[in-house]
Amino acid sequence: MVAISKKKEAPLNEFNQIVAGNSLTKDAWRRLKKNRMAVLGMIIVILYSLLAAFAMFLPIHPYDEIILDHQHLRPTLNKSAGDLMMETKLEDLYFKAWRSGSLVVTEAQSEQIKKWIKDNETNKVWNFCYTEGERQKAAGTFTFSDADTRTIERLQKSIDSDFLISVEKIFWKDMETGKIQNLAKMSYEEILPVYAAITKLDIPTIEAQVLQEKRAQVMNSIKETNPGLSEEEYQSSLDIEMMSIGEKGIAATGKTNLLGKIKTTITRSSERTLKQEIKEGTVSFPIDKKVTISENLSAEIEATKKHSRHYLLGTDYSGRDMLSRIIYGGQVSIMIGLIGTLTSVFIGIIVGALAGYLGGKVDFFLMRLVDIMYGLPYMLLVIIFMAIFGRNIMNLFVALAMVSWLTIARMVRGQIMSLKNSEFVEAARSMGASTGRIIFRHMVPNSLSVIIVYSTLRVPAFIMQESFLSFLGLGVQAPYASWGSLVGDAVNGMTLYPWKLIFPAIAMTIFLFAMNFFGDGLRDAFDPQSKNQL
Amino acid sequence: MTKYIINRLLGIIPTLLIIITLSFFIVRVAPGGPFASERNLPEVVKRNIEAKYHMDEPLIKQYGRYMFDIIRGDLGPSFKYKDYDVNYYISNSLPKSIVLGICAMGLALLFGISAGIIAAVRQNTWADYLSMGVAVIGISVPLFVIAPVLQLIFAMKLNWLPTSGWYTTGEGYLTIILPAVSLSFAYFANIARLTRSSMLETLRSDYIRTAKAKGMKNSTIIYKHAMKGAMLPIVSYLGPAFAGIITGSIVVEQIFRVPGLGKFFVQSSFNRDYTLIVGVVIVYSLILVIMNFIVDIVYAQLDPRITYK
Repeated sequence: MVAISKKKEAPLNEFNQIVAGNSLTKDAWRRLKKNRMAVLGMIIVILYSLLAAFAMFLPIHPYDEIILDHQHLRPTLNKSAGDLMMETKLEDLYFKAWRSGSLVVTEAQSEQIKKWIKDNETNKVWNFCYTEGERQKAAGTFTFSDADTRTIERLQKSIDSDFLISVEKIFWKDMETGKIQNLAKMSYEEILPVYAAITKLDIPTIEAQVLQEKRAQVMNSIKETNPGLSEEEYQSSLDIEMMSIGEKGIAATGKTNLLGKIKTTITRSSERTLKQEIKEGTVSFPIDKKVTISENLSAEIEATKKHSRHYLLGTDYSGRDMLSRIIYGGQVSIMIGLIGTLTSVFIGIIVGALAGYLGGKVDFFLMRLVDIMYGLPYMLLVIIFMAIFGRNIMNLFVALAMVSWLTIARMVRGQIMSLKNSEFVEAARSMGASTGRIIFRHMVPNSLSVIIVYSTLRVPAFIMQESFLSFLGLGVQAPYASWGSLVGDAVNGMTLYPWKLIFPAIAMTIFLFAMNFFGDGLRDAFDPQSKNQL
Repeated sequence: MTKYIINRLLGIIPTLLIIITLSFFIVRVAPGGPFASERNLPEVVKRNIEAKYHMDEPLIKQYGRYMFDIIRGDLGPSFKYKDYDVNYYISNSLPKSIVLGICAMGLALLFGISAGIIAAVRQNTWADYLSMGVAVIGISVPLFVIAPVLQLIFAMKLNWLPTSGWYTTGEGYLTIILPAVSLSFAYFANIARLTRSSMLETLRSDYIRTAKAKGMKNSTIIYKHAMKGAMLPIVSYLGPAFAGIITGSIVVEQIFRVPGLGKFFVQSSFNRDYTLIVGVVIVYSLILVIMNFIVDIVYAQLDPRITYK
């Protein structure tokens, strides 16, 4: 006894053993760690979130860059886009050769090809023609016609020489002071004279142009969101809109527009020089260099061979990289899942806490409202809302958050009602704490574990709802992507381009799996009694 | 009990009223109208069209007229499809959706309950793990992924089932299988998990132990005694399940090209076909509300502990 009391006072039980206090969270964490699937789920969720959060730092192609030459390239481990383009072209040429009779195959094979065409099995036809043609060409029994050879040569040449230029930084040297400045860091007022010097226009003309462009842009977006108004109504709403944008807004757009125009000029001129250099054979890709356009304008440009890109997971209908679309789509989906859940939890806590604490008439009305809303086919109302009020991410949030706070409100109400008469609330009340303080500083934090557990289970449901809407074409719009819109885009033509369907579906399924296991594990850990309940 | 039923029936009315009012005003408050896309109409023609559909009247008068028509069972003319009225379209497409929904619900109940019971009775055997594994897939994989993947595998690659269509247009009864199976999958999964957990709980209760002590046959205990008690959570799950099947059918009908109500719904929302949207919403809500009502009554019948006043 004496020896122990010298140390810090530890609570002892009747057998002189130290009784360590265990907090609820600590206990839950211990239980969660035992559940292997839940831990795996947690790790996967964390990985996905990291991937989504740092998507912009990953060495992947831009998710919205359209390269029409790279339409519907299949996934590949080692072939470049150029190889695949050549393959597609050859498939086409061999098929045409078979049609015209110059590629000779046996009677049985011919019948097989016809059957495939009838069954819409185009992929098999392409494959067969390609392997057969390559075999015959190697054996020397088949040669392309002159026209075809020329086509192939032309394609090969463009594969070898096409390049993409991106302007990284633009520098402007002030002739009087000799100071070199990065254009991106200059303000609109500073860029104006630069642009004037480059284009040899006077500043008022440029300013008028910028204003005109901004007006046209705003008008377009007004017309898109509110179709069917009269011309006067459009004009007046344009004026109001322009007023609210103000000079700052115009300057911001003006800067982007002018920078874009200068970039285009630089790209054009360096394209010309590069083409010349390629002809002379003095370049090797990739290029990363500084070019001088005129005596005071210089830029850092990067040029890569256009068709040497690798698309690990293939491309979509406008040549965008599927891998980066899936990653950025995951970013959008996870963001919507998280923010949407937070919003709905926020509304739910407020309604539930008020109903539970105040009781009486407030409780009655709020809960009747919840009951009635439960009876509504609310996804239908969300669909109408999205279809009519325009399809953008903001509306999606609003529509989904408006209808998904019901369960959380009921749950919080139950929690609050059970805590209402506990001693610590009594104590707070006796010390004169206000209703708001009691609810939000004392009761809500005490029911937070239940709320958090429920929220983790809401996230996958939210992602599913968002994807459901995006699938119908009512959610996220191109060039942005979400898992749902990717699957939705892929459904048409999935026999020809199955990778467009399979990869986003797998990415999404793994995440939802992980999220469900993690959520279930959390719930079991915090509330062991509820095991296996829905 | 009778009083409870009457009370519940009366409770349906405000719900429906709210749905009708809400959808009526959501579609009309939004900018743009059903005729906005038909450009360059002369002002006179436009005014005539609007007068024909009473669009020139104040909103509140339109609302009154619409409510009056609904009470008489008339959902009004379609704004977009000129020749027919909403009743015609709904009565044409609703049966297809109902058949699809009933098939999906039936599949989910049949396989969900049996898988759940097997998993509970043979707890921690391969049967348990298998059915719960399939159930986890059903919960995690969204409907719009399952449906195209099933279509890709069973219709396009293996050629066992037709890709799309519906049996009423002469493509055989096999067309029902894929849409119904994909629609039922998520509900199968939920029902199986629910059945398993509630069955496990029931099997541990005192009255089952008594029955066992009396020396009753195992199958009698499970199917006669435990089943009735274990069904309660499933019955209360059916309400949300019906709502889910209704929204899910929109996707399934789109993927498998079933000419049902769901296809009309999305199309009419895009077209701003006011009367058709509100009409479809009313029909869906009516189905949902009636289903919830039936579920409540069944629940009251099953659970002797609950007394309704």
